[in-house]
Amino acid sequence: MTEPLALLQAAADTTGAYRAFPIIGSRAAIWIAAEVHLMFAAFVLGVPMFAVITEAVGIFTKDAAYKERYDKLSKEFTRLLLVAYSATAIWGAVLVFLLTTLYPAFWNHMTEIFHVSMWIYVSLFFVESFTLYLYYYGWDRWKTGRAKYGHWVLGILLNVWGTTVMLIANGWLTYMMSPPSSETPETLPSEVGLWNALANATWMPINIHRFIANAVFGGSIVAAYAAYRFLAATTDEERAHYDWMGYIGNFIAISTFIVLPFAGYWLGREIYQYNQQLGITMMGGFMSWLWILQAFLIGVLFLAGNYYLWIGMGRIPGAERYRPYTKWLLIVLVAGVLVWSTPHTMIASRAELEAMGGSHHPFLGVLGVMSAKNTAVNLMILTTFLSFLLYRRANKEPVVPWAKQGMMAQWVMFGIAAAVVLFFGGYGYFVSAIVRIGFSVYQVLAVITTIVVVTTLDIFLLKGATSKGEIRWGQMPARSQYALFVLAVTFTWLMGLMGFARSGIRQHWHVFEVLRDNSVDAATPALGKASIMISICVLIFLSLVSFIFWLSELGSHAAPATDHAPMPAAAPAAGD
Amino acid sequence: MWKTNLTIILLVIGVLGLYTLVANSIPQIQSEVPQAIDLSGNVTPEQLTAAGERIFNGAGGCTACHGLGTRAPNLLTDEKGAGPIGVRCGNRKPGTACKDYLFESLTNPTAYVVAGYQPIMPDMRRTLPPDQVWAVIAFLESNGGTVDVTPDDVRSSQQSTAATPAAPAGATASMNPQEIIAANGCLGCHSLHGQGGAIAPHFDGVGTRLDRDGIRESILAPNAKIAAGFQQVAGIMPQTFGQQLNAAQLEALVTYLSNLK
Repeated sequence: MTEPLALLQAAADTTGAYRAFPIIGSRAAIWIAAEVHLMFAAFVLGVPMFAVITEAVGIFTKDAAYKERYDKLSKEFTRLLLVAYSATAIWGAVLVFLLTTLYPAFWNHMTEIFHVSMWIYVSLFFVESFTLYLYYYGWDRWKTGRAKYGHWVLGILLNVWGTTVMLIANGWLTYMMSPPSSETPETLPSEVGLWNALANATWMPINIHRFIANAVFGGSIVAAYAAYRFLAATTDEERAHYDWMGYIGNFIAISTFIVLPFAGYWLGREIYQYNQQLGITMMGGFMSWLWILQAFLIGVLFLAGNYYLWIGMGRIPGAERYRPYTKWLLIVLVAGVLVWSTPHTMIASRAELEAMGGSHHPFLGVLGVMSAKNTAVNLMILTTFLSFLLYRRANKEPVVPWAKQGMMAQWVMFGIAAAVVLFFGGYGYFVSAIVRIGFSVYQVLAVITTIVVVTTLDIFLLKGATSKGEIRWGQMPARSQYALFVLAVTFTWLMGLMGFARSGIRQHWHVFEVLRDNSVDAATPALGKASIMISICVLIFLSLVSFIFWLSELGSHAAPATDHAPMPAAAPAAGD
Repeated sequence: MWKTNLTIILLVIGVLGLYTLVANSIPQIQSEVPQAIDLSGNVTPEQLTAAGERIFNGAGGCTACHGLGTRAPNLLTDEKGAGPIGVRCGNRKPGTACKDYLFESLTNPTAYVVAGYQPIMPDMRRTLPPDQVWAVIAFLESNGGTVDVTPDDVRSSQQSTAATPAAPAGATASMNPQEIIAANGCLGCHSLHGQGGAIAPHFDGVGTRLDRDGIRESILAPNAKIAAGFQQVAGIMPQTFGQQLNAAQLEALVTYLSNLK
């Protein structure tokens, strides 16, 4: 769009288009409301996914001890969900009121296009609420027989409504980033088709990315809740229960987190395809340093997640034999983090470029390219998967006649995957960028194939395996639980950071290249200022969620210990 | 229990503080809002250069690619021994003066693509008004060369824009398909009879791969369907040919391409 047109639009738009929020300003107010609402929303969308899965495990398992155990766990998940649900709605209302009062012109634009979907959204929210109430309050009434299946279906419906609500809201926000290419600043909002606007270029990648991320986020918050209850536990039984719950929450978070980068690649690719400039702004423009910070955070997640597993092996008889390997796993992870967080093609001033002797650092520049970074992250994923595998088989001894060959095959798979990752990482230095981009697909395929094949092999390998002793649930040092807190805080912060990336690439546009932001806050802040906002949002969310969980405990304080089914004699190891 | 609570609170605040500290320790770049720049009247080369530097580092978005050494050539520092842009601009295309070369690079970027780079640069007239394009040229010339942009360049571009406000990039009144192809820089990416780029599908044989509607769609909405094997360069082809070509030119081009069998 040319400057005169922009100025014309500015003159037209600024009259009554904005109001100022006292003290912190309109943008900060909207930022907090939207981010905290989103954090609660992610939690209430993520938790039902694994609540319904753990309930299914309880229903379909033949072991009576597990049946009761998983059912109780699922109910506990749902109790957390119930209390967080109203907070989600309250923050959603705060967001809507702030948008209507602070950005009325923008809100008019959105409602003109999306009003029908907003009616559907609120209706579904209503239906979802009552499904949740039925699901939770009907738990004990519909506990056995065919009624239990009906109850499980309620859980599935809860997920269906929640996911549909998410899809609608995602359509609104992705429209702001990637409106239909036929839309221009001169297009009247009433002329934009609803479906055309909803099903925009980045809608489906965001849907998939958020679907996975919600499970990651929900798992990490549940794990932190369990960690707190573990630390506060007064009986061994309680400690054992929350140790197990924390393990399950962390398992969900880390295992789903491993596939999140692949969804992220897809989203990034769609952004580039929609608009090259948008993609370049995101990856190489003023946001280029954001990805270094992201690498640092993900490094913390990998290290903390593996650390928790390695400490957890201390409570598994037989795990001693794998302890010597952990230092090598740690070396690979640390090296991977260092490579991944190496800056490369950053925006630099002329003076900085001259001081560096060129556009790349003479030594570190080699490590900062995508060939090295993709290699690092794939090796980190493989290493984390290996940690899970060692944890899973820590107290087991395979008895199948082909055990030796099976384990050899698993190691060969790991070796081949690492070789493929390293080969294409190295080869990437000798080919053009357009060829190099394709190499990441081969690296990812090698890692995913290994994870799938090795896991499948492991299930058959450990069929009927002898046990070296039961997992001593509850016998975990306190520092392991603090690792779960670090994970939860980091996941939440990372979510805020990625939200800033997605929203910030629009720069001075409410709707990219369609509706210009003419407010006093139109400039997109630098990372430092954004990080302060993110930390404030995380602090508000964690404070509220802690308060809400405490409230939920008040309600069930009458018999906290008896609420837990006794630990099964042979509690499952990882992934069982 | 209070000790545990305090430890957790301190841990959470410590982790948040660490992340905030790291984010504030790395270079801070704010995305500024493009501002109107007054270049009317007898603007001096110094004023043009100063304005050009602001546009280059701000609203122009030039730094997103130039200066990184991978997506586009370095402009402000040396590029493969040829010096900064002000030094090398007069030598890039034999017989083309620095000012003309830079003007072409900004307004018809696929006409000449430096070896080793992809044709990803947009026509800057879609982002900047003509006087600001001249300001950027002046700034680029100032990096190792002599600024020879004059107020007349700025005025004439403003007048020509006022006279023909819809004059599109690469526009030509020709009905000759081969001239349309040349004028719109198609051969920067596509090849025809062995001439041109290999980034996008060859024009030779396109009539066997696509029918007339398919060819028309590929010109007007290039992202609607991406040819197999070219997904990695999807999004590069400009989506502006619907505005650049008139209906007769479009149909002449479609007919010509559909006959390439």
